[in-house]
Amino acid sequence: MNFLDNIAAGLSLVGNLEAFAALFLGVLIGTIAGAIPGMSATMAVALTLPFTFSMEAITAILLLLGVYKGGIFGGSIPAILIKTPGTPASSATVLDGYPMAEKGQAGKALGMALWASCTADLISNLALILFAGWLASFALNFGPPEFFTLILFSLTIIAGVSGNSLLRGALSAMLGLLLATVGLDLVYGTNRFTFGDPNLMGGLNFIAVLIGLFAIPEVLSMVWEPKPHVGKTRSLGKNSVTFAEYRRCFKSIVRGSFIGVFLGSIPGIGAAPAAFLSYSEARRKSPVKENFGKGELEGVAASEAGNNGVAGATLIPLLALGIPGDVITAIIIGAFMVHGLQPGPMMFILNVDIIYGLFIGLIVSSVFLLMIGSVAIRGFKYVADIPRGVLFPGVLVLCIYGVFAVNNNIFDVGVMFVMGWVGFVMLRNDIPAAPFLIAFILGPLLENNFRQAMLMSGNSPDILFRGPITWFFWALTLLTMVAIVRAGIRATKDLKKKNI
Amino acid sequence: MKFSKFSALGAVVLGLATVASAAEYPDRPINMIIPFGAGGATDISARTIAEPLGNAVGKPLIMANVTGAGGATGSVAAMNAKPDGYTMVFTRVGSHSVNPAMKATLPYTLDDFRYVTVYEINPFACAVAADSDINSMDDLVAKAREGGVSFSSSGVGSGLHLGGVMVMDAFGIEDPVNQVTHIPMDGGGAAATAVLAGTATFLCTNSSALASFVANGQLKPLMVTTAEPVVGFDAPTAADLGKPELEQLVGWTGIAGPKDLPDDIAAKWGEWMQAAANDEEFVSRMEAVGSIINVMSPEEANDFIRGQYSTFKALVDRLGMRIEG
Repeated sequence: MNFLDNIAAGLSLVGNLEAFAALFLGVLIGTIAGAIPGMSATMAVALTLPFTFSMEAITAILLLLGVYKGGIFGGSIPAILIKTPGTPASSATVLDGYPMAEKGQAGKALGMALWASCTADLISNLALILFAGWLASFALNFGPPEFFTLILFSLTIIAGVSGNSLLRGALSAMLGLLLATVGLDLVYGTNRFTFGDPNLMGGLNFIAVLIGLFAIPEVLSMVWEPKPHVGKTRSLGKNSVTFAEYRRCFKSIVRGSFIGVFLGSIPGIGAAPAAFLSYSEARRKSPVKENFGKGELEGVAASEAGNNGVAGATLIPLLALGIPGDVITAIIIGAFMVHGLQPGPMMFILNVDIIYGLFIGLIVSSVFLLMIGSVAIRGFKYVADIPRGVLFPGVLVLCIYGVFAVNNNIFDVGVMFVMGWVGFVMLRNDIPAAPFLIAFILGPLLENNFRQAMLMSGNSPDILFRGPITWFFWALTLLTMVAIVRAGIRATKDLKKKNI
Repeated sequence: MKFSKFSALGAVVLGLATVASAAEYPDRPINMIIPFGAGGATDISARTIAEPLGNAVGKPLIMANVTGAGGATGSVAAMNAKPDGYTMVFTRVGSHSVNPAMKATLPYTLDDFRYVTVYEINPFACAVAADSDINSMDDLVAKAREGGVSFSSSGVGSGLHLGGVMVMDAFGIEDPVNQVTHIPMDGGGAAATAVLAGTATFLCTNSSALASFVANGQLKPLMVTTAEPVVGFDAPTAADLGKPELEQLVGWTGIAGPKDLPDDIAAKWGEWMQAAANDEEFVSRMEAVGSIINVMSPEEANDFIRGQYSTFKALVDRLGMRIEG
């Protein structure tokens, strides 16, 4: 069959009301679930799965994909409005989205998040359709040594989100790396810093740390100094993004989408690092660097492009190799298998109609996301209008419920509050929270991949330089380090000049 | 949405229960802890049996993933629950026979649970990458003797970890713990990927986790551990290769409650499981992912799990694989 035949076969499979209705419903469920803090896209997909067993294969998978895409976008809504990322992937969106909401531009931030999400989604889907085979074979070249160098490079993002003081950023990152060591040792299976408590054996729950670090300090600040906020409401501001603004951010969005596609096609990294990497690249290239972190529209655009760029691309290893890149695609693989389909190279021969049906569905999903997203924004943006005295207690309740729901474990709620106080102390001392979070995500990946590489080579460090991919990332890391040091020296010189 | 539905349902059920006579178990929804993450073999198995089992029980089953530490976090939550039959846990080969045999500081032992059933068996299979020059277990063993062979697992104390060592030991590799390198990965999916990408030489895991890779010609199966050949796997059984003792090496999923669970409640679970496993849709779905449905009574389940545990424990002690600390 040639390409056109394939498309025709795919169309005949999805060209019915049921398939599109399922996709639409999926995006809707996902957006709502993603918007509830603590209800991550992963949980939404997992909860939807049993309902799809009795459906046609293609309808079932489109429904799940819809939930996935909607969930990743939906997470940005509470991230912008109440500084509580609905899913881990939207934690980078908080950095500029929340300050924008503070400035009365919640509508604009949400609008940009939506446009960036949809653009990235489209680019990601096109990448899946056009380059699936190529990117998948590339992804298989990633073993532990390659991962190690990639993660090492990603850690340099910390410099970009440290704000004014690199030292404070580094302090924050160290704290994140330290707390990431809690739990079971990957290679020896021994307990680390668990203090005999079985709850600590699994490590600190990521969502609890995330919400504790971002949302709780805001609530504590409010309790600490209630007066300045009494009766004050944030106005919604202009609720739409102008085309000029979209065009200004377009470069960052496309760059972010490609970062997302690249990281998404490599199994095991996930959307959060992609969002941070895209954000830090946008900041690095921006002429108004100092505005980042204070409510820069481009920051929101870059973060959302980064995390939505991952969504289509994670299907590359799934469809082309049968490898789930993250937890969500692992659930979706389960749905394939329940329907007797086995993702992998053979599927492109045996079930090519389903593959092309999925492609068509994916393209349509970007449009659905735009439609449902704009309605959702219109509904949710009024949250920004609620007086703080009413909003913050509500946020606190949502946080507690959300963190508990992730793992049905009250211990996680305790972790959230402890991290909330840590975050509060950090906030008071101008120590940025983002480096902490990045280190907390990347730390275990860095350590595990390093140790796996050492196991592979019998403790010879040569393996960390084993191929062009490792060399590429070593070079990037080195270049970035030089740039950071040079920027630091220049800043000191400027400061000295001013003092004279 | 789902939660509000559940709680509304729960409220109605509770309301009815207080009106009706209180004694009959179960008179309210039952919490079912899944100690592994969404999308894993245990999760899929648990959520598939939820519907027919819920029909048999007659009360809603509330499925909750309590994840972490290779199933230990969720298992501990169930161990500490009231033994009234309203909190049960899904048990799995890794969390309830391999890990207790290996990890000294695990916060629970087999005696902390009352096993009410084992309903699903997954045969184990060993496989290498399709482009590998290893074509049989003999090739693999010969290569392992030379050194430089590694196997991937989903983590220390998992069935995959013990499986790799057990197979090498059965085929006569001396000191397999040091002769063959164990590379723990983060989860079962990553373990299979590691073999595909050439990070590790082979892995031994549930046939269901390998089925699609084998069907797609990406991995080459070398052996299955059941008595009967596994459909879709062009590989000899362990018995064919003269190692029938490897038939102990299978994955399974079951259900357990806290250790003081009364006999009548355990017996009820035995009946419910029989009813649930007769559901054709459930059976066909589980068989589609390569599982064998075989419901054990509470007594059979207990014997099966303890038998597997003692086999593993003996191996662990003999090879010095015990994890202290």
